[in-house]
Amino acid sequence: MTETDAPVVSMRGITKRFGGVTALEDVDLDVYPGKVLAIVGDNGAGKSTLIKILTGVYQPTAGEMMMDGKALVMASHADSIAKGIDAVYQTLALADHLTPAANMFLGSELTKSFLGYRYLDNARMKAEAERVLKERLGVVLRSMDVPTDSLSGGQRQAVAIARAVYSTDLKVLVMDEPTAALGPQETARTLKLIEAVRDQGLGVVVISHSLDDVFRMSDHVQVMRRGRRVGVVKTSESTTQEVLGMIVGASDQGGAAA
Amino acid sequence: MTSQSQSLTLRERAESYMSLIGPLAMIFAIIAVMAVVEPARYFRLSNFDIILKEAALYMPMAMAMTLVIVTRGIDLSIGSVAALTSIVMAYMVKSWGYPWWLAVSAAISFGALCGFINGMVITRLKVPDLIGTLAMDLVYRGLCLIAVKGIVLSRFPEEIVAIGRGDIPGFLPLPVVIGLVTLVAGYFIYTRTYLGRYAQAVGSNPEAAELAGVPVDSTRVRVYVLMGAMAGLAGVMLAGKLNAVQATSAPFFNLHVIAAVVVGGTSLFGGRGSMLGSLCGVLLLAMMINALVTLRIEFFWQSVASGVVIIMSVAFYTWLQRKDRDGESNWLGALGKPENIRMLRLFGVIVAVLIAIFGLGAVLPEPAAT
Ligand SMILES: Nc1ncnc2c1ncn2[C@@H]1O[C@H](COP(=O)(O)OP(=O)(O)OP(=O)(O)O)[C@@H](O)[C@H]1O
Ligand SMILES: [Mg+2]
Repeated sequence: MTETDAPVVSMRGITKRFGGVTALEDVDLDVYPGKVLAIVGDNGAGKSTLIKILTGVYQPTAGEMMMDGKALVMASHADSIAKGIDAVYQTLALADHLTPAANMFLGSELTKSFLGYRYLDNARMKAEAERVLKERLGVVLRSMDVPTDSLSGGQRQAVAIARAVYSTDLKVLVMDEPTAALGPQETARTLKLIEAVRDQGLGVVVISHSLDDVFRMSDHVQVMRRGRRVGVVKTSESTTQEVLGMIVGASDQGGAAA
Repeated sequence: MTSQSQSLTLRERAESYMSLIGPLAMIFAIIAVMAVVEPARYFRLSNFDIILKEAALYMPMAMAMTLVIVTRGIDLSIGSVAALTSIVMAYMVKSWGYPWWLAVSAAISFGALCGFINGMVITRLKVPDLIGTLAMDLVYRGLCLIAVKGIVLSRFPEEIVAIGRGDIPGFLPLPVVIGLVTLVAGYFIYTRTYLGRYAQAVGSNPEAAELAGVPVDSTRVRVYVLMGAMAGLAGVMLAGKLNAVQATSAPFFNLHVIAAVVVGGTSLFGGRGSMLGSLCGVLLLAMMINALVTLRIEFFWQSVASGVVIIMSVAFYTWLQRKDRDGESNWLGALGKPENIRMLRLFGVIVAVLIAIFGLGAVLPEPAAT
């Protein structure tokens, strides 16, 4: 993949105000297929707000979005899923008491019918879940019959990601701090999951506070500060120091003058 | 693939049967005690018939209550709903000349309507389940009293009596068959239908369910409708069993059914339930009450027993979960904590005040007789 590749989704001049608070001001963002874009920035820099707009949760006050060159307008999160942009929230997305398969298919269960009556096809959901986890994410669970809360943090993440990638034609997967609550081993597993998704040609957007993780997984880093984009760098051509400098404002002209 | 499913530890596999181990252990405890104390009167075929018919009455309600509790709900109005629906049925067959089967259908549908109203109160008016159904319990009971005052309506068509206490020659009693059929249907609903799956999802994580596109509110309304319909069926069964109906019928249905469901391993915190566990819970409670009767213990102790069973089973399951998380705790060590010492002191003060009050009463001169 080269720089000339067209982005799958672009945001241009996005501004978001909550009453008097300006959370985002004139922000651009490009997601490329088969690449991981990391978004970094201090607390309150506007990272979560930006991806909530990208996933249809919030509507921008100003600015526009494009998908494959066409205008993209999303009225809700369900709308964004229908258009191929889904998000994984580590804390919210899973029902702990349900099995991994039940979670993966929650809201879009597979059924079979008997004399015209439709009921759940648990066996097929289990087989499909097992297949998607294995083939697309390289994850094999010890058992598919346990409640999801008995899985490790990384495995739960795999179930949540499998849920997103299973939905017909996902183009962009968004993750807000996927490694925040995980130990080193589970973090490594989650980074592997992100690689697996990327290698299937999806665009991945990841918010992270760990520059360590960012440099291990991303292709580009977009730095946010006080609601503005201060820059985008190629991960392979940058250093932790440079990015850290951009986050706190040392290498930024406006910041240096103040 | 199957080899992975097999690699669970013994403990993990036992966990899914935990809901049966509890009530089964207690059932065996009751059998053991009765074998020692009253074997002659307890282990009679006629007594098992009594136990089964008692249990059958609660089976349909336990099935629906399992689903209600799985969604993190609770229905305290089922006793009044059962009384009200049996009154509706009684009027239809006795005063208005409807055939029995229409009256029975009306009772079940009327119960469903009560359940629908409960569901609306909870989801639309946003009244918490506990308060909403407790208040509706007052409403339905009040309607019962308005409808029949202190009158007892009795002597129903034989078909209705059969629903309550009929025997199928060479087979289980008819109410037991009805009860078991509803539980099997409940098992199917719980494991194979959208309603069952969504009930679990809503009880487990309402936000995640909402995000996944699960219709949270209508799922909750539906389980209350099912609960109301089953309370209506129970009203018919009770009316047939006693061949009589009055405004104060079925006063303890709610706590009795909740006790059976909770002792069967359904979590009051939502998300986890077991139909088989509820069946065991219903049998356990029927056997316990029958044992109390056989031992000639006063009727009112039943209420005490149901309450104790609820507390014990909830405490037991909570303890099981905490043990998983925090490891076993040391009882004596816990006594040393300042917080617990303060609790102990508070308890001591309350007991001391009570002793002082009664002591004072004994010391003071008797009031002069008028
Ligand atoms: N719903 C809202 N209403 C009002 N203000 C909001 C709202 N959401 C975000 N903000 C404000 O917008 C700014 C950006 O918040 P945002 O959550 O996007 O930051 P963030 O970069 O994700 O921070 P963190 O790293 O702490 O998660 C903050 O000043 C925040 O207070
Ligand atoms: Mg954030």
